[in-house]
Amino acid sequence: MDLSLIPYALNLAAIYSLMAISISMIWSSIGMLNLAHGATFAVSGYAAWQFSIIFKPIILAFFGKTLLANLLMGLVLISSAMVAGAIFGILIYFLAYLPIHDKPNYPVRSLIITLAINIATIQILLFLFGARNKGLPKIFGFGRFEIFDIPVRYDQAGTIISTILILSIMLSWLKFSRMGIEIRAMMQNPEGASYSGISSRTTAIPVLMITGALAGVSAALLSQTIFVSPTSGSIPLIKGLTIALLGGLGNVPGAMLGAVLIGFLEAVVGSIQQRYVMFSTFIFIIIVLIFRPRGIGGLLDDTRE
Amino acid sequence: MTKILEINKLSAGYGPLRVLHEIDLSLDRGERIGLVGLNGHGKTTLIRAITHMTEWQSGSIKFCGNEIGGTRSFGAGRRTAKLVKMGISVAPQGDAIFPGLTVKQHLNCGAFTKEAWKEKEQRINKIFEIFPPLKKLEHSLVGKLSGGERRMVSIGRMLMVDAKLYLIDEPTNGLAPKIYSSLLNAIWSLNLNDRSMIIAEQNVNLLSKHVDRIIGIYAGKLRGEVGHVELK
Repeated sequence: MDLSLIPYALNLAAIYSLMAISISMIWSSIGMLNLAHGATFAVSGYAAWQFSIIFKPIILAFFGKTLLANLLMGLVLISSAMVAGAIFGILIYFLAYLPIHDKPNYPVRSLIITLAINIATIQILLFLFGARNKGLPKIFGFGRFEIFDIPVRYDQAGTIISTILILSIMLSWLKFSRMGIEIRAMMQNPEGASYSGISSRTTAIPVLMITGALAGVSAALLSQTIFVSPTSGSIPLIKGLTIALLGGLGNVPGAMLGAVLIGFLEAVVGSIQQRYVMFSTFIFIIIVLIFRPRGIGGLLDDTRE
Repeated sequence: MTKILEINKLSAGYGPLRVLHEIDLSLDRGERIGLVGLNGHGKTTLIRAITHMTEWQSGSIKFCGNEIGGTRSFGAGRRTAKLVKMGISVAPQGDAIFPGLTVKQHLNCGAFTKEAWKEKEQRINKIFEIFPPLKKLEHSLVGKLSGGERRMVSIGRMLMVDAKLYLIDEPTNGLAPKIYSSLLNAIWSLNLNDRSMIIAEQNVNLLSKHVDRIIGIYAGKLRGEVGHVELK
């Protein structure tokens, strides 16, 4: 096996896990299968592009082509994408959660509303920015280095490291902070959470903001390899959804493990024949779900309901 | 004595189904009330209606003199969190348990107000004094505990709050006599001061001598009230 597949696979796994964890978290905490997550992805990609256009000349004028300039540019890209994602999350809260969350058939209704938001956003982006792809500045630079004789591209290393960094910050926040405990309580037992004074109406806001910000991060990172376009969120959305399903909806470690598995599967199959990638991914997911209907997350569970 | 809870002609149920029929009930500060009745006769529904987990059809509830919700509720569960913050603390039937949280985190979930969160360590230690077995299990996941231990966690979470009114729904449900008697002893030994408590329970013998009043509930109506004097 070609060892250079490993950084490639981990790179894919990083971006997929960001998408899958957010979809999984939204589903289990507020019971919404968020199909507008792809739109969040695209919107934050455009926000990053817009801000990079504004800030690039300023940063270049002050710092020239130095490492500091690159770092600043990366900071601008990722933070603008995160903020845009979080704001879009609030928009989803007001459109698809608040008006209907205590009405009958809420899961189906929210599914339809988020799908509508997704389609509408793609059309609005097309109208505003046109169909042409937009390239983001390469924040990690070009080139490669070697670890244990494995060649790693800068952008791959940057993506993997920043994903691990951001996810570990987020997961430890979720584990130790008060708001994090509230969110996890709501993920595990919504009725019990309201008996504990945790209001789903107020807790849904940080949930949608954080997951939106995660979609923003993945948009900024993925745009290092692909272009920003109105439909650039669709493939990450589909991958994120299927991996969230594979990991067992609502299971964060399961989603991470699923992302790594799919990343490696895609990397290996892609190295043999690129056009079998999607096909083999879905076959794999179907096989897993036939034998483990709760996804791989079920294997990690050691508690009973 | 001031009333902490006044329920006035409350009817409630699930959708078109009416379970409670025009219930009148009032509760003084510091009073302990036992609610007894057969399965399906409205004990849990009454507790769920007080906490707004179930929609009301008519009537009103006053908590500490303030009207909560008016004649119709705002939809199931919508105001529960707010009411809990106002000072109603609930240990629901079948335990509201978060299987993936540790005992300590679970108890922290009870400390939702800002003041409670600041002094959560002292409060948790107090809970460990009331339920000594929990001390050893502090860092284990609630999903791994036995039924009795879970009930302790659930009631402990309820007690984390400085509530004005505690509602306990069938604390002995599904537990062995030895375990529930120690659990109930822990509940009876609590110093309520001016806080009140409603306990729903099937077994009248367990309640007598410990509560101020026992109220029977039958087919959604309150029947037969046994007062202080007869019980002692």
